[in-house]
Amino acid sequence: MNDAPFFDGSLPILDISHVTKRYGSMVILDDVSLSIRRGEIKVLIGPSGAGKSTLLQSVNFLVKPDSGTIRLEGKPVDASSKQALCRYRQQVGMIFQDFNLFDHLTALRNVELGLIHVKQFRKNEARDRAMQELERVGLAGRAHHYPAQLSGGQKQRVSIARALAMDPKVMLLDEPTSALDPELIGEVHAVITRLGEAGMTMILATHQIGYARNLADEIVFMENGRILEQGPPEKILEHAELERTRAFCSRIADARG
Amino acid sequence: MEEIRYLVDEVLPALWRGLLVSVSLIVPSLVLGLAGGILLGTARVYGTGWLRRLCDGIVLVFRGFPLVIQLYIWYFGLPRIGVYLSPYTASVCGFVCCSAAYHSEYIRGALLSIRPGQMLAGHAIGLTAFQTIRHVILPQAVRRALPGCGNEIIYLVKYSSLAYMITCIELTGEGKILASASFKYFEVFLTVGIVYLLLVTLVSRALEALETHLVIPGFERYRT
Amino acid sequence: MTKGWTAVIDGFSYMLEGAWVNLVVVIGALGVGFALGLPMALVQVYSRSAFLRTCIGAYVWFFRGIPLLVCLFLFYFGLFEYLGWNLSAFAVGVIVLGLISAAYQSQILRGAILAVSEGQMKAGRALGLSDVQTIRHIVLPQALRMAIPGWSNEYSILLKDSAVTYALGVSELMARAHHVASRTYQHLYLYVTAGLLFMTMTWIGTRLLRSLQERLTVPGFSK
Repeated sequence: MNDAPFFDGSLPILDISHVTKRYGSMVILDDVSLSIRRGEIKVLIGPSGAGKSTLLQSVNFLVKPDSGTIRLEGKPVDASSKQALCRYRQQVGMIFQDFNLFDHLTALRNVELGLIHVKQFRKNEARDRAMQELERVGLAGRAHHYPAQLSGGQKQRVSIARALAMDPKVMLLDEPTSALDPELIGEVHAVITRLGEAGMTMILATHQIGYARNLADEIVFMENGRILEQGPPEKILEHAELERTRAFCSRIADARG
Repeated sequence: MEEIRYLVDEVLPALWRGLLVSVSLIVPSLVLGLAGGILLGTARVYGTGWLRRLCDGIVLVFRGFPLVIQLYIWYFGLPRIGVYLSPYTASVCGFVCCSAAYHSEYIRGALLSIRPGQMLAGHAIGLTAFQTIRHVILPQAVRRALPGCGNEIIYLVKYSSLAYMITCIELTGEGKILASASFKYFEVFLTVGIVYLLLVTLVSRALEALETHLVIPGFERYRT
Repeated sequence: MTKGWTAVIDGFSYMLEGAWVNLVVVIGALGVGFALGLPMALVQVYSRSAFLRTCIGAYVWFFRGIPLLVCLFLFYFGLFEYLGWNLSAFAVGVIVLGLISAAYQSQILRGAILAVSEGQMKAGRALGLSDVQTIRHIVLPQALRMAIPGWSNEYSILLKDSAVTYALGVSELMARAHHVASRTYQHLYLYVTAGLLFMTMTWIGTRLLRSLQERLTVPGFSK
């Protein structure tokens, strides 16, 4: 990690400011701002349709925001330049709810693909690096399996390996476990926890409040396209200032109860 | 001026005559072909062993032989066994058999896609197998088969031009006669082509309207 | 009866040569159709130019709506004559069937491309692949596999359509069957034989495409 000297951990590595997104007359994101420091883990919670997923996809410009700026290490991202966008996306890993593994490629080839075509690795270097990443998520033994031959949890771990292979500075995780059967959630959470312990900067959207409490440095509550409240887990989950936040947290707690 | 006279005095009346013959080929072929397709398709799904195999065989042959060859068999081949058909009758026979075979594929697929529970439910309220097929299964299957059958009907409109090959003078045939006389092949066949295009567009609009008319919730996704 | 079979046996090798002509026409037309159909499908799915998309829509509408026989006459006696190109009936057969097949193949491929889920495109972009790279390495390998059944269908349609090139005087199977029949007066036998040969060619071709599909198969793409 060759940090630029002024990144002492207090300046945000990723800064989202005043992002707005509309579909027709529907406002999906309403002037959202959020910043995250190196090594920090923020967890987005909120009801379905709150805009968590759109926010994460806007950060990566998979959804083009109508207005607002994203800064990585202080530099605003120029989404109009294709090259700049590709370079930026390499540095921001994205994990999807429904994995989006490339269905026609084995686990290993899924991880290799970006290394070869984006990072211009040679074939054998890419293979070694991809194997390393698969080992990191505990799936070296499944390297030659196709997505259809993997369980949901394994698919999500491969997709994490695929993102990690690009050496991202930030990882965005869009409800990584919500498409999984309950018994498979643990293995994916374990991988994410280890990432956090290794110092990865992450923004995670989830409905798993218990997990969020253990993982997060800060919890961000979103509703109707807006960030209503953010703070340390104990504060948001137990002594939230807003009625809405308390109502949501208690509903979730009841549902788990 | 001369061009326009030629167009008005010769081309248009001839093409109109041809169009009428084409339509009189298409309409009975369409109706009988569809009816045959429903019968064949139903027999292939619900028929007993030998009937099913027989119908499968018939369909295999009529889908496997190029339509031109089928028309030649009807027109030039059958006299060998004492059956003499006029060009018109031979064409209609060819079109009906061929399109029935293709329709039966879609009907069969649609019938197989209906959940077995529908048949059970029919039996449960005391309908016979035939009644259940007629009142419960077919109304659902026809909706599912409609996009495929619709394509087949459009093919029929286009392939009706092959009647010309066995000297049934319809739209294409009239075009050929005109063009051979005036040597204006490009203009005449472009016009003939446009008439077919209009016919095909008209038929596909009508089919779309029919599909929309027949649509019921739960059957929308079979539209293409 | 025996006369009929004698005519078939005598004319058989002559007819087989004709069947070969049909195969060459079909393979040529499939090639022309793919070479034109793939770019057309890509434009229809990905191009932002409404003008281009409309042009291709019009092309597809024209070639799907006009009967093959009329199209053959239009090009052979009409357009190419008019342009002063001196093309053989065989070449015109390949070109016209190819142009028509391009219209159909573009729709097969368009459907296949659209069937690749949007998430695949997003995942590619999220890795930093450019759109062209994503289409080339992720979308097309999946879409082309999904298009194989459509091609198999297209092959059997083209094969049967290739019999219509007889109307231009291409010396293919149908023409040869008719030729032998008009000498021996055994029409029924010869046409049935020709039909069975067409069926055999369809069967062999679709089997080959199916084994190609199985060779390229990837778990999860069983359909």
